[in-house]
Amino acid sequence: MKTIEDFLCRNARLYADQPAIVTPCDTITYAELWQQVSAKARTMAALRGRAVVFRGSQTADFLVHYFAIHLAGAVAVPLEHDVPDSRLTELETELSHCMLPADVADVLYTTGTTGRSKGVMVSHRAILANSDNLVKALNFSHDLVFVICGPMNHIGCLSKVYPVVQCGATLYLLEGMKDLNAFYQALDYPCAKAATFLVPASIRMLLTFSADRLQTYAAKLDFIETGAAPIAQTDMRQLCRLLPHSRLYNTYASTETGIIATYNFNDSHCFEGCVGTAMPHARFTVDSDRRIRCQGDTLMSGYAGNEALTASVLTDGELLTADLGRVDAEGRLHLMGRSDDIINTGGLKVAPEEVEKAALAMGNIAECLCVAANHPVVGTVLRLLVVMRPGHELKARELTRHLRERLEAYKVPMLYEQVEAIRKTFNGKPDRKSYR
Amino acid sequence: MKQHIRELLEEALPLVDIDSDFLFSELDSLGVTTILMILSKEYDIVLEAEDATPKNLKTLDAIVAMVTHKIADRK
Repeated sequence: MKTIEDFLCRNARLYADQPAIVTPCDTITYAELWQQVSAKARTMAALRGRAVVFRGSQTADFLVHYFAIHLAGAVAVPLEHDVPDSRLTELETELSHCMLPADVADVLYTTGTTGRSKGVMVSHRAILANSDNLVKALNFSHDLVFVICGPMNHIGCLSKVYPVVQCGATLYLLEGMKDLNAFYQALDYPCAKAATFLVPASIRMLLTFSADRLQTYAAKLDFIETGAAPIAQTDMRQLCRLLPHSRLYNTYASTETGIIATYNFNDSHCFEGCVGTAMPHARFTVDSDRRIRCQGDTLMSGYAGNEALTASVLTDGELLTADLGRVDAEGRLHLMGRSDDIINTGGLKVAPEEVEKAALAMGNIAECLCVAANHPVVGTVLRLLVVMRPGHELKARELTRHLRERLEAYKVPMLYEQVEAIRKTFNGKPDRKSYR
Repeated sequence: MKQHIRELLEEALPLVDIDSDFLFSELDSLGVTTILMILSKEYDIVLEAEDATPKNLKTLDAIVAMVTHKIADRK
């Protein structure tokens, strides 16, 4: 098996009538999925070797398109579902000038420290390594129904498609977590075992608004995986109490590193910040600056069209992350924050500079600073501190609309505050640390 | 009550058109959570996942009706 599509082809033979993808209004078997993917791939022959940029969605159509691109020998570039047209066109143009290595399957865009998104090249080999890591470390099985409720263009959710396909299990796709009743309806799907990936903000939502209801699924929930952002220990402990027999994993992964390590915190310790030991196809070390370095087959191939940036983090098969950590005596990795200014909101990373640049384009803003603020349920949200030009007042509604035209929705701050000045460091740069 | 709820939600969710006839479809999970939290606190009512249905959050009028119903239940 050299690609995840090879598993899909095998499943069409072995598990032809097994549901591959279920949505609230449709079910597609493995035989039907393979037929649709093959038919679509045949229409894409002219795209071989090229990058295909498209909007992500939590639908069967998205997955058919995604697999077909691979099968046609092209490179899938799924973006946010609400990415502005101008940004989509810009990336298409950029990628059309890039020479992508032969084994690249995907280019996934992630936030860069300078506010400019980086196109992370992920190979077919990395996809299979990620898949096998998850199958072995989280015990995915053929009789499992895995509920995906997050954006499919992000590694957190996209990577769960692979182990499901590898095992010939079933994917249940949901359009986000805003309708918690739909989430529970997904768990009601007739099956012996269900599992899901939830960012910590979604777990907090479930615990805040429906803890009793969640508990009624204790026998059916085989496991829940979380990651992408820190989860509070109070939430971890409450989850352990509600689901005493489920495996509850906190996983360390990123677009660049792939899926690296995981920890089942439903043990007697429930260590906060712990992401466990390395998975079979990954290794990690922590250097003298406490920065986490990763090795193994899950690593990215590099940043598309940016060799210098690639060389700054990827050398001799080792990837230097911006995450800080420590390794305990048992070899478990514990996360200790980041070494850069990136803000993690609901599991999505935002470079504050990108938000500030978009806000400053409004003209009547003299200065601004995007910082993290705490929200009682969803955790970290963005707050924009704004210094207005003389004679102007901050109009939050107007500003949010301006930002929404330029940025993906998750990058638009939820909170706004007009201030007299932005605090600066000795060399005149915004003193971001003083606002943490 | 309707105007008060409109003002509360407009301030908390500046990106959302609170008067939309398809309010639920404009919301994301953060928006739904925010509405539940704000209304629970403001009117001292218990709102749970079961209440956050597309029907209950379809329009501002539907939200007002849900809050009115919850207040009546409390009494």
